[in-house]
Amino acid sequence: MRPWLILAAVLALAIVVAACAGHDWATPGDLWRAIGGDRDLRSRLLFDWRLPRVLAAACVGALLGLGGAIFQGVFRNPLAEPYLLGSAGGAALGATVALLVPLMLPQAVLLPILAFAGAWGATLLVLGIACVAGAVDAAGLLLAGVAVAAILGALRSFLMLALSDETVSLQIVLSWVLGGVQTPTWSTLGLLALITLGCVGLALLLASRLDVLGLGETMARAFGLDVTRFIAVAVLAGSVVVAAAVAFGGLVAFVGLAAPHIARWLVGPLHRALLPASALVGAIVVTLADAIARAALPPAEIPLGLVTAVAGGPFFILLLSRRLRS
Amino acid sequence: MTAIVANRLVVKRGEATLLDDLSLSFGATGSVALIGPNGAGKSTLLKVLAGLEAPNAGAVSVQGRALASMSAAERVRTIGFLPQHFEPHWDLAVRDLVRLGAERGGRPSGDAVEQALTRYELGALAGRRWSTLSGGENARVLLAMVLVADPAVLLADEPAAALDIRHRLDVVQALAERGRDRLSVVVVHDLDLAFRFFERVVVLVGGKVMADAPAAELLDDPRLDEAFGVRFERIRTPDGTILQASRTTA
Repeated sequence: MRPWLILAAVLALAIVVAACAGHDWATPGDLWRAIGGDRDLRSRLLFDWRLPRVLAAACVGALLGLGGAIFQGVFRNPLAEPYLLGSAGGAALGATVALLVPLMLPQAVLLPILAFAGAWGATLLVLGIACVAGAVDAAGLLLAGVAVAAILGALRSFLMLALSDETVSLQIVLSWVLGGVQTPTWSTLGLLALITLGCVGLALLLASRLDVLGLGETMARAFGLDVTRFIAVAVLAGSVVVAAAVAFGGLVAFVGLAAPHIARWLVGPLHRALLPASALVGAIVVTLADAIARAALPPAEIPLGLVTAVAGGPFFILLLSRRLRS
Repeated sequence: MTAIVANRLVVKRGEATLLDDLSLSFGATGSVALIGPNGAGKSTLLKVLAGLEAPNAGAVSVQGRALASMSAAERVRTIGFLPQHFEPHWDLAVRDLVRLGAERGGRPSGDAVEQALTRYELGALAGRRWSTLSGGENARVLLAMVLVADPAVLLADEPAAALDIRHRLDVVQALAERGRDRLSVVVVHDLDLAFRFFERVVVLVGGKVMADAPAAELLDDPRLDEAFGVRFERIRTPDGTILQASRTTA
């Protein structure tokens, strides 16, 4: 019970700290008044702008932590990360189209949709290639993933070169690729929260079979698991989780890799505990990183992916080396 | 009643024929040792019998039903399979490993898990992680994982081969003793253990059954020497016969 209480308490604390942090620092008292319905301009700014952004960051982090734990479980490899199967390249291509190609819909609507479609489509493509090649296993998927990522990356570079001119800046594309949570309306946040909860539920449906898969393919088959089919199903589910994270948060580096590790140290490697714990750890990390991104160099905002990599990297290396020594 | 009938099994991998028109049947109880030189098809046969690999031709029936038509859940409840090598990817605790076996075998109760832990002397190790255990303890965990659901049939691909002699004795004896009220088919590499603990010995060579007889009869059979391509000196001791091999040609 203890690790869960700690995780929940730390997440609550992280949300409060992040909601206080920003160009204009607030106190918990200010937050309380804003939530209580105060009509003061500052309270309304806190309630309509900062709080949804903080909660969206928590959701994106939870999705990344969850996606990372699913992919590490499928590949039975602690170095697996959620962007492994082309989703990063696909999302970046989708976002580039949304940002650079003039289309009918407003960019704010188009961007998450195309990012989601790109991320999910790329993973579907990878899975399809592996199926056709008859290699729905870790090696086949990884090879297909590398190939698809290279092709999508080249396409994106071509689009950027072909479409950019004085009026369309490449900087917006670069800044999206480096990750960042958009401030949602409360109704969009509601949708994101529902998606996040749905993804946690979806992941928990996979949990016991991920544990069986972790026993190795022979043992998993002896225990009645259709290994090939399950890997395909789990990759599909994982790709939905990751695509949702990418649609709302861009390409946030490193969280999907690190969160499952931290969660494993806290609750152990059994997936029924690991998946929700990894989601909580991811939520904590991205909530705090997003607060740093907003508050460190006001009024400018640092891309979220830079913060998670620069702050998360050394922290992770420290944890890892302490772990290896013990 | 027969538990398993294998009818004219053929397994091919590319050019190689691993099982060559092989037929065998096993009763509902009994301990059977599968022996034979490397590449004889012992592991392949075991995997086909367990439903982990489909044969190119022929069929297996289990308790009167076609293995291929059984659902995965039914198969797992009926057949326990012990692989030759087992190394979990995640460093799970002993109790979690045994619980996974119980869940997959359709006996997810906590009692079943605790009984298996006690039976294989793992009670004190229940909270320990896999990587902290010795080889003998690992083998006992594997036994507990597979046998916690008490399947009617146990197919074991000698999981004790890498253990020291005392643990090998313990494991092989435990597998053979299951043959008293269940069916236990075990690939055994140590011939002395095979003849000492098992009722029936099946000799595989080149994907075919070369000999299949009660252990006591087969021990003196010259086909044994032929199967392994050596000359066996049969040394009688009060505890049984020891086979000492020497090369047939100088």
